[in-house]
Amino acid sequence: MAKYPDKVDLYDDRGRVFASKVPVEALSPLRNPAMQKIISYVKQCVSVNLEGIEKALATGEVGGKWCIIRGRSLKLDLVKNAESIADSLKSCLQVTKDDDTEVKVLKGGKHLLVKVPAKRLNAGVEYTTGFTATAAALCCTIVENFKVNLWDADLIHAAVWGRYPQTMEPLGGNVSSLLSVPQQNEGMGYALRNVPCAHIALITKKNAMNAAALSSILEQAAMFEMGDAIGNFERLHLLGLAYQGLNANNLVYDIVKENSKTGTLGDVAISTVKRAIADGVIKPLEKKPSGYTAYTTEDLNKWNAYAAAGLLAGTMVTCGSARSMQHCPSVFIYFNDLIERETGLPGVDFGRVAGTGVEMAFFSHSIYGGGNPAVFHGNHIVTRHSKGYAIPCVAAAVALDAGTVIYTPEKISGVVGETLSEVPELREPLRYVNEAAVSIHGGI
Amino acid sequence: MVAYKPQYYPGNSKIAKNRKKYLDPSYKLKKLRTISDDDLVKLMGHRVPGEAYKSVHPPLEEMGEPACPIRELVEPTPGAKAGDRIRYIQFTDSVYFTPLTPYMRAWMGHTRYRGVDIGVLSGRVPLEARERDLEKVAKELVETEIFDPARCGIRGATVHGHSLRLDENGMMFDALRRFVFDKKTGEVVYVKDQIGVPLDKPISVGKPIKEEELREMTSEYRVDGVPFREDKEMVEFVQRLHMLRTEAGFDPNKVKGI
Repeated sequence: MAKYPDKVDLYDDRGRVFASKVPVEALSPLRNPAMQKIISYVKQCVSVNLEGIEKALATGEVGGKWCIIRGRSLKLDLVKNAESIADSLKSCLQVTKDDDTEVKVLKGGKHLLVKVPAKRLNAGVEYTTGFTATAAALCCTIVENFKVNLWDADLIHAAVWGRYPQTMEPLGGNVSSLLSVPQQNEGMGYALRNVPCAHIALITKKNAMNAAALSSILEQAAMFEMGDAIGNFERLHLLGLAYQGLNANNLVYDIVKENSKTGTLGDVAISTVKRAIADGVIKPLEKKPSGYTAYTTEDLNKWNAYAAAGLLAGTMVTCGSARSMQHCPSVFIYFNDLIERETGLPGVDFGRVAGTGVEMAFFSHSIYGGGNPAVFHGNHIVTRHSKGYAIPCVAAAVALDAGTVIYTPEKISGVVGETLSEVPELREPLRYVNEAAVSIHGGI
Repeated sequence: MVAYKPQYYPGNSKIAKNRKKYLDPSYKLKKLRTISDDDLVKLMGHRVPGEAYKSVHPPLEEMGEPACPIRELVEPTPGAKAGDRIRYIQFTDSVYFTPLTPYMRAWMGHTRYRGVDIGVLSGRVPLEARERDLEKVAKELVETEIFDPARCGIRGATVHGHSLRLDENGMMFDALRRFVFDKKTGEVVYVKDQIGVPLDKPISVGKPIKEEELREMTSEYRVDGVPFREDKEMVEFVQRLHMLRTEAGFDPNKVKGI
C-alpha cells in the first residue's frame, strides 16, 4: 500500500514518455532498486591512476605536488602490465570467486575502474572501505607482481595512498573515490552531497538531463540520510526528486522547450506558473486593489516541486543559451524572486535556494575567492543550505558549459569522472531509474 | 494552457507600478539618448572599437558539442555560438530617486534579456554576458529611460558613491571622477572608461533627468518620496511571503489555502 497518493508519468531525457501513472514512491531512494544500485556503486567504485603511480615512482614525487624524495625512484612498467595488475588486484579484492568484484582496464592501461565487492562494505560501517581496500590491495599487488623489496615498499605505499596518514585525506595519491573522507563532511549524512559537480558532469558525459538526475538522486538520497526527508517532509522531497531531478510529467523538458529559442529567465518563471495553474496546483486567492492576484495552494509540496522543476528549466535556458556555467547562482536568486512576485507564493525550498544563490554568487565570481561552479557540491560551506534543490541545477549548468572557465571540469575531476562514466547506471541514471520504477510499481 | 497575463510585481503605489512597467518586457523602454556603438565599446573598455571579438573557446560549430538533448534544444546566443569571452558592464545607482534600484536591475535584466548573469552587491550591479550579447544589452541600458546620466554611474571598479549626497550639480560622488558635469552644455561627460582609464575623447551621455521627472519614474521607495510603508499592498505581500516561508519550514502540509 502506497503511503502517498501521488502518481507521475515517467519520461526520458528527450521528452519521450516511458511509463504512465507510476507511484512517486517508486522513485524513492528507499524503494527504487536502480537508485540503491547507484548509491552502492558510489561506495563500491574506485578509480586508479596507474599512469600516475608509474610517474610518481619514477620521479619520487609522492604525497603531493613538488614533494620529491631525492634519490628514491622505481622504474616499474605498470601501464604496460595493466592487464596482469588488474587480474591480481581482482583476486586480491574478491571475497568469493563469484562475487561482484570487477576491475576494468581503461585508456590502454592508464586507468583502472575498480568495483570492490559489496561483501567487503557490508562487513564494515564506513563507506571508505571502497578506497582503503583498493589502495591496500593495489600495494600488495604491485609489491608481489613486480617483486618490490622491503626497502622500496614504502615508496609504493606513498605513490598509491599519497601522504595519508600524515594528511587527513590521501594527498597526492593515485586512488580516488567519488566520496571524500568522512572528516570532510559538514555533518551527519552529508557523504553523498560531497561530490563536486565537475564529477557529475563528466560521469554523465555532459548530458544536462542526466547530470541533473544523478545529482538530484545523490542530494535527495542524502536528505533521507541526514534526517530531512522523513515524516512531514518526506513527500516534499519525493516530489522534488521526481519533478526536478527525474523530469516527471516531462515538466522540465516541456518548460525548456517552450523557452528554447528566445525565452528569458522571466519567461521560464511565467511558463512554470502557467503550468502550475493549468495542472490545478495553484489557484487565485484574492485580487488586490492594484489588480494583482495573490495565489494560493492546497499542496505546497507539489508547488515546491513545480517551482524546483522551473528552476532547473531556468538554469538550462539561461546557462544553456550562454553555454556558460557561471550564470547559475544568478538564476537561483532571481528565478525565485520573480516567481514569488508573480504568485505571492514562496520560491523553491521556501527561500533556501535564493539564499544559497546569494552566497554562491559571491564565491563563484571571484569576489571572496572560491571557484567556478564545477567545484561546488551539496556539502560546500556556501551551497549546503538548500535541501537538495540547488546542486542538481549547478550540475546541469556545468554540463552545459562550452569552455568558459580556466579550471575546466576535466581538470577538476581528473581521473574519477572519466572512469566512473563507464558505469552505465551512473552515466544514464534517468533510464535505469525509470526502468526500475516500472519494475517495482506493482508492489507499491 | 490557460490564458494567463503575467503580473510581474505586486503593490498599489506609483513605485510599484513603475517597477511593474520596467519588468514587463512588452513595455518598450523610452530611448532618451544615442550613444554610438564605438563610444559604448570605449566606455566598457573591453576591446578597442573595430577590434575583433576575442574568444574563450572555438565557435560551437567548429568544436562540436556533447550529445545532450538540452544543448540540442536551447539555441545559443550569438556570442555563445561564436565563443566570445564573457565580459561585463557594471552600474552604481544613487539612492536619490534613480530609475532603477539595484535589485530592479537584476529582475529587469532577467525578464528582458537572455543568457545574462547579473549580481547585486551593496553598491554595484554587474551584468555579465558573452561580449557581443553584452554590447547589445548595454546599449539599451545606457540609452533609455532607466539610465540617468547624473545619478547612475557606469563603474567597473571603485564604485563607492551610491549612498552619498549629490554634489552641487546634482551628480553622484565618484572617487575616480570618471564623469564630469559640463556646465557649458549642461551634459554629463565621461572622461574615463568604467575602470577609470582616461578616454582619448570625452563621451557625452546627455543631460541629467530633472528631479521632478525622476521622482515620477523612480522605482525606489524612500521616506522623502513614496515610503514603502505607505504601500499597504506591498507590505502585505512581503509579510505574507515571510509568513508562508516560515510556516512551510515548520510543516509544509499545514500551509493550505492561505
